Amino acid sequence: MSNAKSLKMMTEFQHLDNLLDAKASFEKMHPGVVITIEQAADHAESHRALQSDEAPDIVESGGWSIFNRKGLFVDLLPHVEETPGLKEDLNPGVMRVASKDGALTGLPVDVALPLILYKRELFDKAGIPYPQEGWTWEEMMETAKKLTQRNEQGVATQFGFGFGVDVEEIEPFVMRNGGRYVSPDGTTARGYADQLPVIEAYRMLIDAYRVHRVIRRPGEPSEAGELHEGFALIFGFAWFAGAVVRYGLEDKYGVVGLPRMPGGENANMIYMGAAGISAKSPNRELAWAFLRHYVLERPEAFRHANTLPITKSLAERSGYTDNPVWRRFIEEMDVVQPSGFYLSERWNSSRQLINEEIIRMINEGADVAQTIRGWTRFG
Amino acid sequence: MRDGNGLDPDVANNAEEAKESADLGTELAERARAGDTEAFGELIERHRGRAKGWAERMTGDPHLADDIVQDALIRAFMHIGSLQEANRFLPWLHRIVRNQANMRLRRGGPHRREKPFASFEARERDGGSVDWDNLDSILDHLTSSAGQAAMKEDDPAEHLMRKEMYETIHSVLHCLTKKERAIFEAYFFKQLSPDEIAAMYGMTTGSIYTYIHRSRQKLRQEQIRVSLGLLPEKGGAVLARHKMLELAEWPAHASVPTTMVDRLGHMLATMGDSRDMAELMGLSGFAFRMQISEKTTFADGIYMFDWRETLISFARDLGYEAALVCGQLSDFPVPLLGAVEKFPVVLPIEEAVLPFIRQTIDSGRPVLYFDTSAARPFVHEWSLIFGYDDERRVVHLTDVMCPEGKTLSYEDVADNPIRFLAALTRQADRDQTAFLPGPRDTRRRRLAEKSVRFAVSFAKNRSAYRPMTSYLSYATGLAAYDTWIGHLRRGPGSPPNRYGMGHLAHAYSRTKSCAAAYLRTVPFEGEAMRFALLASEAYEQAAEALRELEELVPFIKTAELMQADLCERCAGLLEQARTFEASAIGYLEKTITYLEKGTSQ
Repeated sequence: MSNAKSLKMMTEFQHLDNLLDAKASFEKMHPGVVITIEQAADHAESHRALQSDEAPDIVESGGWSIFNRKGLFVDLLPHVEETPGLKEDLNPGVMRVASKDGALTGLPVDVALPLILYKRELFDKAGIPYPQEGWTWEEMMETAKKLTQRNEQGVATQFGFGFGVDVEEIEPFVMRNGGRYVSPDGTTARGYADQLPVIEAYRMLIDAYRVHRVIRRPGEPSEAGELHEGFALIFGFAWFAGAVVRYGLEDKYGVVGLPRMPGGENANMIYMGAAGISAKSPNRELAWAFLRHYVLERPEAFRHANTLPITKSLAERSGYTDNPVWRRFIEEMDVVQPSGFYLSERWNSSRQLINEEIIRMINEGADVAQTIRGWTRFG
Repeated sequence: MRDGNGLDPDVANNAEEAKESADLGTELAERARAGDTEAFGELIERHRGRAKGWAERMTGDPHLADDIVQDALIRAFMHIGSLQEANRFLPWLHRIVRNQANMRLRRGGPHRREKPFASFEARERDGGSVDWDNLDSILDHLTSSAGQAAMKEDDPAEHLMRKEMYETIHSVLHCLTKKERAIFEAYFFKQLSPDEIAAMYGMTTGSIYTYIHRSRQKLRQEQIRVSLGLLPEKGGAVLARHKMLELAEWPAHASVPTTMVDRLGHMLATMGDSRDMAELMGLSGFAFRMQISEKTTFADGIYMFDWRETLISFARDLGYEAALVCGQLSDFPVPLLGAVEKFPVVLPIEEAVLPFIRQTIDSGRPVLYFDTSAARPFVHEWSLIFGYDDERRVVHLTDVMCPEGKTLSYEDVADNPIRFLAALTRQADRDQTAFLPGPRDTRRRRLAEKSVRFAVSFAKNRSAYRPMTSYLSYATGLAAYDTWIGHLRRGPGSPPNRYGMGHLAHAYSRTKSCAAAYLRTVPFEGEAMRFALLASEAYEQAAEALRELEELVPFIKTAELMQADLCERCAGLLEQARTFEASAIGYLEKTITYLEKGTSQ
């Protein structure tokens, strides 16, 4: 380790408590070391800082876009290699997504993926069996239809499926149907977004809003309350699961994998940010030591978390593998795939433009195939 | 909707309707040519179906036609500034579609390997797969195949290929300056290394690389121009122009904290239409806006509104038409995502912005420009571009922290991750009947009533702008105080952002003062005016509490963490300000009641 005794870290996260705890424990273990923390409001500010003459040693971002930019960060794989046992300990699914062009530019943080959480009470009341692993989209729709209730005016008092409207959240269903939005190298959406598996997955999703009416349409009046109230099946990310665990509701909610799609692929998406070491940092060894401590060595960070640990040992030490809800999320990390937004900045930037078109398909009945074929312009 | 431009008589049911549609089409094309992206979007909506029809007839393949139209529209968008006559938009678009279709057909249709237009970085090292429509591909082929050329001297196919290659390059080389051309030719034709060229010209190797890089960029743009059948642009030095406007005096006391409104006021003053700035703040509603991020005390809430809609409607209230150029670059992290999330994704090409800047400045009007490189402690602010210089390749623009102004290179302007430029044209100049429906006093009163209603509605969180990006949310109006105070009282483990605190206090203390000043001038009478004045007083007190807050957390660039006692003192001042502003809103509700009574009597 170098003789440097100070580290500058920039983070895009608004809640600093976890980072401040890590700073305190690291400084205690390494007397004389001082870590200064600065917040950035967004990726643009982090990017500007990295390019400046006073670049921080470490940057932590809520997304992956700055980690895709060449030359900004050091490759952490050599550090991983030289840390005994770490390579085997890191979750292979997460590493598959995080490593690009044979390099690891950041250690994943703020990791989340979606599964289906179901509210047992609503199933029991309706006398419907709980969903089982390996269920199909059709079975899910049948279940959701039985669990959607509307009053005399047609306003839903309970929805079968709690799901938003977002191109990224629909992507797991696209993947599971064998489709992808963009090419593996991210250079084009042509030949990907406009292909049948994508269109078919969207048709099934749009039918769930328009034909089966089991998902709340954008702007639709509702008396179903919040997501944890009148929704039987919930497309729940780790943060929803985190709330279930935090409030001790594990007996009220079950968790099951996403349904099988006709394409038959077992895949899911993953959200994550990262913390990486600036290529300009003169304190790489110390920075790596702190990163390791902050991200990999503190099970206490997952006591009340909404995110997933990225190593097997951390999953065990934090109690995730013993928890019935978290255990399923950890398992699912094996099948995650890189999403369009990781692979293509152009696709990522077009997110809300695409979402507007999805809303048009749901609310106005815009032709699904024609609309989606036009998405090649976003990739 | 039917097409305009009078080119489509077969679908026009009657002559009058056809003329009206043609006029509208021409007007849209004129606005689009001036760089108005909204107008371009509308134009495209009108003509997309027709363009697809052309492409489909040429190719017989609907999917390929979609791709062709897409590429053609990108090219049309980039070069609309070069359209000579606005009423010839359709033939011009037709030519672009035809050229694109021809290129695609030459390439071999939909099953031939595709390359997205934006992938300029792509490299073709395989001499057999050179893409003749892509200059980079040609240049790469040129550099990689030169060594093998001697072996293939007798190959007729190779000979033809090289002939076409040289023709393509020579057709665009004229866009380079003399020196750029010499270096370019030395590198690509004579196959000299950058080191050798540097030695020849007594320059550093690094600068040779820069020359080669810049030349490639210029050639790419010129190649697109040629593919459009446009007149070639002469070498930069020949047509190089520059122009600098003299901005109106703008002393600090005239300035307001909301930089978009401030720059608009400065712009209008420069155009000979000086306005009272408190009135502009009131009429635009910005005197009454306050938004706080739900994340922490980041200052991005200041910028969260619909930029396009706000600017267009505010300009109309002032008697102006706004022309906009907007977009977000895909390859750069974009700040203020919540505000720009629905901007079209654009390429960092100078031609997409500089014609708009030149044309506006040449007509004596400054350009409103969103500057993402504002001098500290500001991060990004609106500014005014008031000059350009083609030779130095810079624009001159204002910056709050640089009283003399500053310059940005053309590359910096094209590379700005947020593209937002606007120019105003006086409506009365265009159509004398379109504006001022009633007497001036009546109109002033109506606008004042509109802004007071806006103030109440905004305070009660009914007019908030909500980004679609789900992880970005902002508390609005009186509720914003509660969120702000909440951030300050989250405890020592999770302190608020100090830098943003300073910015928020700086901006909103002045905003509330503007609200107070504006309400003193509203043209109401009787009880309505009395309550407006009471509201003004309450806003002044809210402003005072926020000024004290600003003294505690001055607006400076800092990474310090706020201690618990400072957080608590700030929270106390915000509670005071909230109480005063809640009173002000109560008085404004009474103002509205009396205004309505007055109307009904």
